[in-house]
Amino acid sequence: MEEKGALHPITLMTNDIVRIFDDLGFEVATGPEMETEWYCFDALNVSKDHPARDMQDTFWIKQTPEQLAVFAKEIKSDRPVLRTHATSVTARELERAARENTFPKACVTVGKVFRNEATDVTHEMQFFHVDGFAVGENITLANLKSTLLSLYKGLLGEDVEIQLRPSYFPFVEPGLEVWIKFRNRWLEVMGAGMIHPNVLKNAGIDPEKYQGFAFGGGVDRILMVKYDIPDVRLFYQGDLRINQW
Amino acid sequence: MKISYNWLKWYIDGELPAPEKLEDILTFKLCEVEGIEKLDDGDSILDLNILPNRAHDLLSHQGVAREIAGLLGFKFKDPIELYKLPEIKETKLKIDIQTPACRRYMGRVVRGIKVGPSPEWVIKHLESIGQRSINNIVDATNIVMYDCGNPCHAFDAKIIPDLEIKITNAKEGEEFPVLGRDAVVAKLKNSDAVIADIQGNTLAIAGVKGGLKSGVNEGTTDIILEVANFDPVAVRKTARRLNLLSDSAKRFENDLSPEHAEYAMRELSATILEMCPNAVFEEIVDVYPKESKPHFIEFETVWINQYLGTDISESEITELLQKYGYEISGENGIYNLIVPYLRLDLVGPHDVAEEVARLYGLDKIQAVPLSLSGKPKVNETFAKILAAKEKLNVLGYRETITYAFRKKGVYEVARGVGDKGALRTNITDGLKESHELNNHNAPLFGTEDVKLFEIGAVFPKEGEITHVAWIDKKGVTEMTLDEFVENSKLQFTNYALDKSTADQKFIQWSLFPFIIRDIAVWVPQGVQPKELADIYKKFGTILLIRDPQFFDEFTKDGKTSYAFRLVFQAQGRTLTDEEVNTVMQTIEDEIHRQGDWQIR
Repeated sequence: MEEKGALHPITLMTNDIVRIFDDLGFEVATGPEMETEWYCFDALNVSKDHPARDMQDTFWIKQTPEQLAVFAKEIKSDRPVLRTHATSVTARELERAARENTFPKACVTVGKVFRNEATDVTHEMQFFHVDGFAVGENITLANLKSTLLSLYKGLLGEDVEIQLRPSYFPFVEPGLEVWIKFRNRWLEVMGAGMIHPNVLKNAGIDPEKYQGFAFGGGVDRILMVKYDIPDVRLFYQGDLRINQW
Repeated sequence: MKISYNWLKWYIDGELPAPEKLEDILTFKLCEVEGIEKLDDGDSILDLNILPNRAHDLLSHQGVAREIAGLLGFKFKDPIELYKLPEIKETKLKIDIQTPACRRYMGRVVRGIKVGPSPEWVIKHLESIGQRSINNIVDATNIVMYDCGNPCHAFDAKIIPDLEIKITNAKEGEEFPVLGRDAVVAKLKNSDAVIADIQGNTLAIAGVKGGLKSGVNEGTTDIILEVANFDPVAVRKTARRLNLLSDSAKRFENDLSPEHAEYAMRELSATILEMCPNAVFEEIVDVYPKESKPHFIEFETVWINQYLGTDISESEITELLQKYGYEISGENGIYNLIVPYLRLDLVGPHDVAEEVARLYGLDKIQAVPLSLSGKPKVNETFAKILAAKEKLNVLGYRETITYAFRKKGVYEVARGVGDKGALRTNITDGLKESHELNNHNAPLFGTEDVKLFEIGAVFPKEGEITHVAWIDKKGVTEMTLDEFVENSKLQFTNYALDKSTADQKFIQWSLFPFIIRDIAVWVPQGVQPKELADIYKKFGTILLIRDPQFFDEFTKDGKTSYAFRLVFQAQGRTLTDEEVNTVMQTIEDEIHRQGDWQIR
């Protein structure tokens, strides 16, 4: 009998996240890492020239004509990009919910995202995001608070407290920062809010009829906080000594 | 955005809470406060991280003061009535807007000014927020911008023939020396909007930067004041391309209301009058091709509660909004909110919901569990990945996540990091490197050959696809996730998610070499290997960095030999043989104390 291997901590936390959301009734969703500009930005109400697009240092993909042909299969054209957030999966799943007319709809995804920025102990070019949403006739901000409280209590323990602070992301209104109190320290862990009516419209959902919340934040950071891991880059060196759990 | 606490006080009709208290209020009702700096004169400077949707109205002291007054239920002391001018003369100034990039242009000729140092209060206020005083006229334009938010500019009127200016497109390739100490020459394109004289000489880059030649200098006596409004996208494109991210460009690119120009012109004129009491002011020339219309938002209080999941009474909602300063009208749950012209962020009822949530207090919104009925559908892709990981894990493979970037690939990023400018076309290349790295450390894992795997996206010519790859001393194998699932006959109709119970903290590994010692001991039959392992653990000190690895056992003449491998390593330094010898000696002494135990 072989000794068992060891899973990567990102996988362990992904599984924890999925279990928590599965219990809450959320479906798991998956989507491409190489995304179209539409799902990464436009569908999410990030207008072409809005300064909000500066908030992300983005890896755009160079294209040859034949590569473009591959992307032309996508319905809404335009430039390929490495997704900067897993909210692109939310954009895709909202569209699917509209197409299949399945409401209420609640999904969660955990996936790799990319940012073109200098790396240091808290910054990496690739890392993982948890993103999700719930949309229906009467899904509220109060439901969002409860959902995120379940998530962080499930991941970090029952004594975690949660705080919502005003913020801005083009795809939500109200836009919020999510802070948690863990081991007596307040930490910013997520962006969240009620899905902006324009995002619902872009997905083909009638904002007069349906409403809901969305959230997204880092997985690596939660691992770092939970286990006191000092450097995010340790996750991606290919060094198995990170598999300690 | 740096905000002076004392400056704010001008505009608040009430007791402004202490800076630290203010920080709390702003954090929970407006935006992040990045820091508070205490100045020697007793002032405090708050560094506010103004959110992009409020950059229309909050990049100014008046804007922030209006917000704070609203949050605290105080009155905003609007100084506009104090801005009075003496007799106004007729003007010959002509303004012609030839580009949609300019949405409004107000100009005013002021004669008989005297350029010199600014009054003390102006210098103090500019310096408090990290700005430097240049001369009274330039300072006036700056202080008005930091005060009310609308950028302003002053041209030397003498160099503008016939007092005629136009707002038009630049000439392609034109080189334009900009105002400032760094002697920057901007290379313009015909998509850039500029202010020019009738001979076509550029005077300023619209909304971005003034010109070196048209600026106010010591000998200037007559000026043209500019208070304008420019299209955010046009300003942004020009400012970014030229890398001229001026405070003016920053405000225009965030979209300012053209309505605000009037206020700023009034404030600017009054400020210049204070500096130059003998100045003669001419009429304002105001070109405003498409006036923005006031608008209102209809909302229902019942809907606000349904959106937020709250139970705030109708009267409390209307009171919250009115106390903040919004004008609302209506009854029986249906109201109209008149949108203040600066508040370009307020568009629909969801924006009113945000205002109510903020003013009511996000902390007061109670968590209400979602009620989603039924068991969620299983996602096949995720179930397959999960099953594949579990399969390889059970077979003794350890999971790794390597970089998605490689030197070569089919898809390249437009602007990469270092030499890794392409997306991987396979997992194998990265996995081999990881295998080699980890094999150097094989004793740390208690094995001869480290077995590892990765599951993730690869990017061959045909696009993105999920692969599975695993490696051991026999070699590396890579295939698609679907092939793997099929070959291994894995089921993917549900998730098997064990609860992870791990709580122990991360142990940082040492970057220094480790030392291995194998030790075999004869013990009487019946003694369990654990008894030896316990001795190694107890006397191995912190230098023993993993559990002793039991690797051999044989029995002869009523005695059993147990062989263990011990791995030693120090944090932050290279461990020496002598140190390990000392540890081994203590271990051996302890073994000898057991009586009939013998080290082989």
